[in-house]
Formats: sequence, C-alpha cells, structure tokens
Amino acid sequence: MGKLFDELKKDILYQHGMNACLNCGVCTAVCPAAEFNDYSPREVMNTVQSECDEDIKELLKSDKIWYCGQCFSCKTRCPRGNSAASVILALRRLSIRHGYFAESEKGRQQLFAKRVFGQNMLDRGYTLLAKNISPAHFPELGENWEYYYEHMEEMRQWWDVPMDLENSPGSHRQIPEQDLDEIRAIYQKTGAIALMEAVEKAMEKKLGSKAEVEKYWQTWLETGDSRNYELKGENKS
Amino acid sequence: MNKNIVVIGGGVAGMAAAGKLREFGYEVTLIEKEKELGGNVKNWYKVFPDFTDAAEIINKLKGELKGIRVINNATVTQINGVAPNFEVITSTGEKIDAASILVATGFKPFNAALKEEYGYGIYNNSITSIELDAMLKQHQVQTASGKPPQKIAMIHCVGSRDQQVNNNYCSRVCCTNTVKVAIEIKEQIPDCEIYCLYMDIRVFGRGYEELYRTSQEKFGVQFIRGRLSEAGEKTDGSLLLRLEDTLTAKPMRLTVDMLVLMVGMVGNTELAEIADLKVGCDRFYTTAHEQYSNNNSEKKGIFLAGTATGPKAIMESITDGRSAAAEIAAFLHSFTLENMSCDLSFRQPFASMIAGGNQFCNTPPQPSPY
Ligand SMILES: Cc1cc2nc3c(=O)[nH]c(=O)nc-3n(C[C@H](O)[C@H](O)[C@H](O)COP(=O)(O)OP(=O)(O)OC[C@H]3O[C@@H](n4cnc5c(N)ncnc54)[C@H](O)[C@@H]3O)c2cc1C
Ligand code: SF4
Ligand code: SF4
Ligand code: SF4
Repeated sequence: MGKLFDELKKDILYQHGMNACLNCGVCTAVCPAAEFNDYSPREVMNTVQSECDEDIKELLKSDKIWYCGQCFSCKTRCPRGNSAASVILALRRLSIRHGYFAESEKGRQQLFAKRVFGQNMLDRGYTLLAKNISPAHFPELGENWEYYYEHMEEMRQWWDVPMDLENSPGSHRQIPEQDLDEIRAIYQKTGAIALMEAVEKAMEKKLGSKAEVEKYWQTWLETGDSRNYELKGENKS
Repeated sequence: MNKNIVVIGGGVAGMAAAGKLREFGYEVTLIEKEKELGGNVKNWYKVFPDFTDAAEIINKLKGELKGIRVINNATVTQINGVAPNFEVITSTGEKIDAASILVATGFKPFNAALKEEYGYGIYNNSITSIELDAMLKQHQVQTASGKPPQKIAMIHCVGSRDQQVNNNYCSRVCCTNTVKVAIEIKEQIPDCEIYCLYMDIRVFGRGYEELYRTSQEKFGVQFIRGRLSEAGEKTDGSLLLRLEDTLTAKPMRLTVDMLVLMVGMVGNTELAEIADLKVGCDRFYTTAHEQYSNNNSEKKGIFLAGTATGPKAIMESITDGRSAAAEIAAFLHSFTLENMSCDLSFRQPFASMIAGGNQFCNTPPQPSPY
C-alpha cells in the first residue's frame, strides 16, 4: 500500500465501486471496450486491488484507463457488486491530478475533452454543441449532417428550436448567465475546475511549452487526429 | 409431558433424524409437505462422489422409519406452548403434542430465471442441472430439437456467490455435481465436448478431488476459469456464450448446443414465523452457535438439521440429522433428570441413558446403536 492507493481509496467512486474482486472476468466478457482494445476491466480491478503503487502508477500512465466508454455494463453483472466503471472514473481523476495522463496518447486526449466538453459546460451549460461536430472530422455522419451543419441556423428556425435563444427548447439554447454562474460554482466547489486546470498544466509540462500545447490542439482541430502531432525528443512515448 | 417428537421435513436429514430417534426409542411423527418422502434427493439420479443411486439412499432411510407415523401432504401451521409441551397444529387440522420439534425443511433450488442473462426460460437449450439429472436418468440427454448435444457448457455458481441475486454464499455441492454429471454425460455421449465454466473449483469432500481428477484424466472434461457473462441464441438454437478465460486473460466466445446452469441452494425458511426461528443474512436458519450448537435453534426445544441451516451434501445432511437426534435425546433426557431432581450440572453420558431406559418411551428401549 502506498500514497497513490491511499489517495484513490479516498475517492467516493472508488469506495462505491470496489468491494473485492474475485477475478471472474464477467466484466471483461461483457465490456464493449475490451472487445476492440488492449483493455480489460478485470485487469484494472486486479491491479488496483493489489494496492501496489508501482503498478497503479503504470496504469495511470497507460492508455488503458481511457478506453472505457462508461456504459456501466460491468456494474450490472459483477457478482461482487463492484463497479469497474466507477473505479475507472476514480483512476482517471487520480491520473489527471498527478499529471500521469499526459504520458499516454489516449490520456492526452483529455485536452480535447477539457477544451470542448469542459469549456462548453462552463460557457453554455451543455457538453456538446452541434457546431462542434464538423463534417471534416466526422465524415461518417454523411451528407445529411453536412447539409445540416451548413444550414443549422435556418433549419433550427424551421423546427422552432432556434440557435442561441435564451431559455428556448433544444440543445442550442442560451442558458441565462445567472444560472450558468451556478453551474460554474458547482464545478468550482466539486473540484472539476481544478481538474481542468491540471489538464492544461500537465500538458504544458509534457509538451514543453504553452505554444506546443496550442500546436497540439491545432493539429487536432485541423486533422481530427492528435496522432498527427509528433512528440519531440525525450518526450516521445 | 408427552413422549412424541415432531420432525418437520422428510428429506434425507429429516428421515435420518426420525429413524435414529425411533431407534433411541422415541415416538416420532414425521410431517412432509409433499406426497413422497425424500426431499430434493428423490429427484436425483446417481449422486456424487460414488454414483450411488439416489433411490437406494432414500429406500435405506425409509427402511429405518418403521413404527413412525408419517403425515404426507401436510405442513405445520401453528406451534403452541413451550418445551417439553409443544402443541403442533398441522395444515390438515390435526393437533399433535410434542416434547421437542426438529425442523428439517431443507432448501429450494435457485430459480435460474432470475439470472436473465443466462437465458433460462427464454432459450430452449438453456437448462438447469436438475433438468439435466432427469435427462441422465432417462438416458436421454438431448437438445430441444431432440438431438444429442455435441458441445455442452456447464455454468458453475448459478445463484451462488453472486451479489446480484443477494446470495453471497457458496452452495458447496454444485462444483462436485458438475464433475459428476460431466462424467455421466461422457459415458452416455462419449464424443460430446464439455466445458465447465468456473470461478473456483470447490470439491471439498472425501473422494471429490479424485472425482474431479478422473473427469479430466479419463473423460477429458474441460475446465475454463471464467464466469459466464451472457448467452445469446443463434438461429439454429445453439447458444453463443461470452466469457473471459481469466487464466489466459482472453475474452472468448463459445458456441454450445446446450447450456447447463448449476443451480445453487436457497434457504427455505417458510416456518420462521410459525416456529419463531431466526434467519441469517444468507436466509438459512440461524443456529444457537455455529461451532458447538449447530443443531440447536435459539428457541428451547426446537432443533434444526440438514440444509435448513446451510448448504450440505447428502452424507453431511444425513449425519447432521442423526446428530440432531442425539441432541434431542440429550435435551429430553435433561427433563428426565429434572423430574428425578438430579443435579443438572452433571449430564450423564448418552449411553447410560439408553441402558437405563428412557421414561418418555412407550416402547421398550432399543439396543444402543453404538
Ligand atoms: C442440483 C443438486 C444436485 C445435488 N447432487 C448431490 C449429489 O450428487 N450428492 C450429494 O451428496 N448431494 C447432492 N446435492 C445435495 C442434496 O440434495 C442435499 O444434501 C439434500 O437434499 C439435503 O437434504 P435435506 O433433508 O436437508 O433437505 P431437502 O432435500 O430439501 O428436504 C427437505 C424436505 O422438507 C420438506 N419440507 C419443506 N418445507 C416443509 C414444510 N413447511 N412442512 C413440511 N415439509 C416441508 C420438503 O418437501 C422436503 O421433502 C445436490 C443438490 C443440488 C441442488
Ligand atoms: S463501463 Fe467501461 S469498463 Fe465497464 S463495461 Fe462499459 S466500457 Fe467496459
Ligand atoms: S465482474 Fe466483478 S468480481 Fe468479476 S472480475 Fe469484474 S470486478 Fe472482479
Ligand atoms: S460449490 Fe462450486 S459451483 Fe457451487 S457455489 Fe460453490 S464454487 Fe460455485
């Protein structure tokens, strides 16, 4: 047992998600993420259960904890009443707090999560806006989406869910500033803002400078694939 | 004080206890809910670890019931009074005096339909171990379409060790039962492949490990360490299983013709209120002490035996029934001593009681079984 594990143990999601794992593999067998990636919730649970800081650190630095899609299928099946999904969330928070996420390719995508979903929440009270989903990045959405993307404003007028109208129905409404302030206060209080700041800071440390972080971000904006940004020298991982 | 002992439940535990009490010279009334004695064992074919015919066990125990009054198709609806002067009222309206009562009401098999993801009651080829035993008995192990299966998966721990169904305990018999039926299937359908999906193999009794080993060495039964996550039906009626082989850490798919769910035991505590018995968090009856008073309930004069107090194999249930008989005899003997105003802190050994005759007996003392 060590410091990392002690910190993990304090997370309420860990406390709720981990009773004791008997390594039965039900979670891994049902997990959609395990089906396609080098990932197994059972292995994650087993590593965490070892209480070994070295192994936990390795996990926090790896791609693995970022593969989970948070579908919670594992929770419904576990014979021990565990929730690997919740333990994963606790691990992600730990990984961000310590900056370990920046060590893995999937982990570094937290920058987009922070700048897109996180920022949207603070600015608009909504995780994903239609205008975030550009056809260039999501060609699989096809022609219809492309048309909608280009004619969003007038189409939403037709449907009576106009863009950016205060308190209107639909995902593109404008939430009154006073209510947004409440959301921001909640994010502040619960530590979400601190996590967001930790993401920016660790990325800066990993990539060498703020300018490099912007380059990384631009690469993603332009190509939709962060792997097109090349890590420099000793930072390669 | 009357001289009768009421045994509730005519499974192997209740029958063994009744027979032994009779042998000790007591009057015994055995109350059984069903029309036949034998409990769950009457539904089994050959039992582990030695493939004794279940019918042989029941016949043997039945043979020891001479002179005992058996009331079938009845249960107990009310118990009045205190030991040694209970009044037991049956569902048939009869009132029976009893000096002591033994509750040996056994277990209920887990309802496999509660594990929806295993498809019992949804897919035709998802069956329970109980249905399989019936098929084995008739030498007719076959799929829903009437063909002998070529590939069978046996799922351990169905309804046991599973917080999702609120049964955290191990049912103890299903691992060895899996090994047993796997061998029987192999004997009846030699080219059938058998995969046992387990979390831990718990074959704990004398001869059990040897049976496990034989199933692998001699019959090639396969054991995969992983719990079934879910089963899906294919168009041809076969079942696609999703699990992880946790020893090689590989998620795997297995297609089988038949899925056998090794159902565990669920406590039967339907008499808890009537007999004023405590129930443990596992929903089996609580005993006065788990180590040294495991046939006593907390209620004076009411005793417990067999799977009513937790999962047991047949031999253990029989032994437990006979152990309860000894406890009851000692308990009633203490009243004898009381009546003779003897010092109760000194308890005579049981054998001397037999030798001296028991004043509650209306039959001549039987020779000591020991
Ligand atoms: C699938 C399966 C396979 C098994 N195979 C084996 C094996 O091969 N070998 C082995 O050693 N063990 C085996 N066992 C275990 C074995 O079945 C038990 O040890 C045995 O049945 C226990 O006997 P019992 O008398 O305690 O309970 P039961 O067999 O449950 O008998 C209880 C009796 O009480 C009666 N009863 C219940 N409630 C009342 C009431 N309110 N009033 C009156 N009567 C009542 C019931 O009708 C029943 O007759 C198996 C168990 C399972 C589930
Ligand atoms: S919540 Fe995550 S770990 Fe659990 S089944 Fe879904 S993807 Fe897998
Ligand atoms: S399902 Fe539960 S007990 Fe089984 S391996 Fe996953 S977390 Fe562990
Ligand atoms: S005996 Fe085996 S199959 Fe039955 S509950 Fe225990 S471990 Fe599971």
